[in-house]
Amino acid sequence: MPFNLNEDQQDCLQELINVAMGQASDQLARYLDTFVDLRVPSIELVSALQLSKALESNEQPMALVSQGFFGYEGIRGEAILVYQHKDSDKIGDILGYEPEELSIEEQLIDISSILTTTFLNVFASQIENQMSYSAPRLLDDNSVALSQHLNQLSFSWDTALKVNITYRVTDYSFNCDMVLLIPEPAIVDIKKVIDRILEAF
Amino acid sequence: MGSSVLICDDSNMARKQVLRSLPEQLSKDVQLAKNGLEALDILRTNSINVLFLDLTMPELDGIGVLEGIKSEGIDVSVFVISADIQPEMQNKVLSLGAKAFLRKPVQTDLLVDRLQEHGYL
Repeated sequence: MPFNLNEDQQDCLQELINVAMGQASDQLARYLDTFVDLRVPSIELVSALQLSKALESNEQPMALVSQGFFGYEGIRGEAILVYQHKDSDKIGDILGYEPEELSIEEQLIDISSILTTTFLNVFASQIENQMSYSAPRLLDDNSVALSQHLNQLSFSWDTALKVNITYRVTDYSFNCDMVLLIPEPAIVDIKKVIDRILEAF
Repeated sequence: MGSSVLICDDSNMARKQVLRSLPEQLSKDVQLAKNGLEALDILRTNSINVLFLDLTMPELDGIGVLEGIKSEGIDVSVFVISADIQPEMQNKVLSLGAKAFLRKPVQTDLLVDRLQEHGYL
């Protein structure tokens, strides 16, 4: 399995993610003026089919904001922020907007880009890399199948490394899932970077 | 005189980072724990002077360890080293009795500063 991470590689990636997740949640906490509860993130290999099944089997309707990222050394992927509709309706209240001041879609994109760019910039700086981003895209139209949307991501893939982080805003019982997908060839590149970090230990 | 030290973090790499940052007099007697439950077990059965504690961990997190130390009256100085840098979290760990909060990845000079402030060097 060329894409599998060994125990040390997984541990190293997890720690890089923890640091990035901590700073992203700090930014989210400041933006929402509240506290964000963090859990240990999960990292696993998924197939495209498994992923769309897993997301679609979730009965609650959701809104997704996805954004491609591109670094040096072949490191790239897609960051997807997943919101429950029942939560996305609350966002205006949380942010203290008057109705119609800013659409829910714009608010979701704002929150998503804070999380995505903070997370990825901190992640990149730890591996001495630098990220650029494609424009965020919102999908909240339930008529579009999720699998179809996944096919339109910035890359096509069969297997990806999936990192799942849940940001829980307990004061407002609002959750947001950040799903990072790193496609096959980029996994090989990220493993090289991780091995370089591990060698320094 | 040396002190016995416990490093508690679910990440092997993070434990190594702390270990590498320790000044010589603290690096002679070090134990390691992978989660809060292991840490509390070691604290109950060993005399530990300094605990370097992560927060986000499986089984039992750092907040659980701080609460356990308090409720069981364990005598140990805790330095929290965490990626969760939210001010509210920093205040929470200090109010639970931690001596200091350090952000991850730990920086050797800051760690040494905090240890000096609290009389461990």
